[in-house]
Amino acid sequence: MNEVMIDIRNLSKWFGDFKVLSNVNETVKKGQTIVLCGPSGSGKSTLLRCVNGLEPFQEGEVVVDGTSLTDPQTNLNQLRQKIGMVFQRFELYPHMTAKQNITLAPRKVRNMSQKAADNKASELLKRIGIPEKADDYPANLSGGQQQRVAIARALAMEPKAMLFDEPTSALDPEMIKEVLDVMIALAKEGMTMVCVTHEMGFAREVADEIIFMDEGEIVERGTYEDFFKNPQSERAKDFLEHIL
Amino acid sequence: MFFDYHVIIENLPYLLQGLVVTFKLAGLALAGGIFFGMLVGLGRISQRNLIYYPVSAFVNFLRNIPLIIIIFWVYFILPIMVGRNIDPFLAAALAFIIFESTYFGEIFRAGYQSISKDMVGSAYATGLTYWQVARYVTIPIAFRRMLPSLITQSIITFQDTSLAFVIGLHEFVTRANVVNNLEYRSIEIYSFVAVVFLILCYIGSRISLHFETKYRKANVL
Repeated sequence: MNEVMIDIRNLSKWFGDFKVLSNVNETVKKGQTIVLCGPSGSGKSTLLRCVNGLEPFQEGEVVVDGTSLTDPQTNLNQLRQKIGMVFQRFELYPHMTAKQNITLAPRKVRNMSQKAADNKASELLKRIGIPEKADDYPANLSGGQQQRVAIARALAMEPKAMLFDEPTSALDPEMIKEVLDVMIALAKEGMTMVCVTHEMGFAREVADEIIFMDEGEIVERGTYEDFFKNPQSERAKDFLEHIL
Repeated sequence: MFFDYHVIIENLPYLLQGLVVTFKLAGLALAGGIFFGMLVGLGRISQRNLIYYPVSAFVNFLRNIPLIIIIFWVYFILPIMVGRNIDPFLAAALAFIIFESTYFGEIFRAGYQSISKDMVGSAYATGLTYWQVARYVTIPIAFRRMLPSLITQSIITFQDTSLAFVIGLHEFVTRANVVNNLEYRSIEIYSFVAVVFLILCYIGSRISLHFETKYRKANVL
């Protein structure tokens, strides 16, 4: 369990003159679940997008499963197959059914046969609890169901790690639990996960480490108990007062 | 007899030949307008100033000038510049392609821009390549979103072809005018022209509505 899955070293990033990430260091070991929190605009989502190369960065290094993103030899498309990502607004392909959303990448990227991909999709839909929705379009699914399909779509590529960018913040309260349950099960099965979320129940149950970011920097890090019961910095205290 | 339909029946072959010219002109205007429109649309979202600014200037310039002036330019001024006459059909086709490419360009720009950064990101995140993302995700979604506007703009283009009248191109409306000058039956002839346009354009707008309802239901729009 000590194998390093994601290693972020001295990462800095600017949008024009504005420094969005400032000298970020973080090591995620295999099987760990990390929760990233902080006020909006603190750089959490940007950091997540740097890990799978959706955002370029100017300084530092990110190594995923032994492959460096900054190495010109690295094929980003191949690297991204190892890292699943789930977005705030689900981002399912609206013109495809739930099953087609899940099978697109396995078929086109892995060259899996239609039949094998369909079987895989059925299995995943069963796992997320909505096998009967295979042929429904995203428009006919609730937010919670859409987000679960988005998780299944990412899992279909059998990733070694998963990134979650505020996966429940666009959901109605009664749907949050069904998505968190899938995420908790995933964490307990040993998936390596980095989650941007303010869901405290989730953090308490599965987070190995909580990272608090503000203004592009990691201000504080610790276990659930450390961070929520005994925050050290003023910024973290201030933030916790607002969300709790 | 107040409404003498014989005048239409007797001149029908002549009028329909004009309609064929109208269809040819509209077909060329649409094919060229849509093809160059795609390029104009890409230019309008380009990150490179060298592409973005000239294309934007082209679009803003042409969209603020009446179509008829562009037809005059191509038919009367372009021959002076190139030193030889241009046939009315070619001039009209050229003017329409230039003009429509700006309108279609804006439709394509809106279509490309309607796709969120995260939608593209979610496709890349599964390991799809640039061309796979374009082929399976962005182009199909953008196309569905643009289709109603594309059909509507095509109907407008079809109606606008009658402006080629001003440079004497023998399309449908010009020929109707010729018949009227001989027969003095303006009520019958111009009503007939209106009904033909009405039927063709109404069919087009129903098709557009069909796709709009379908895609709105699927939440693609």
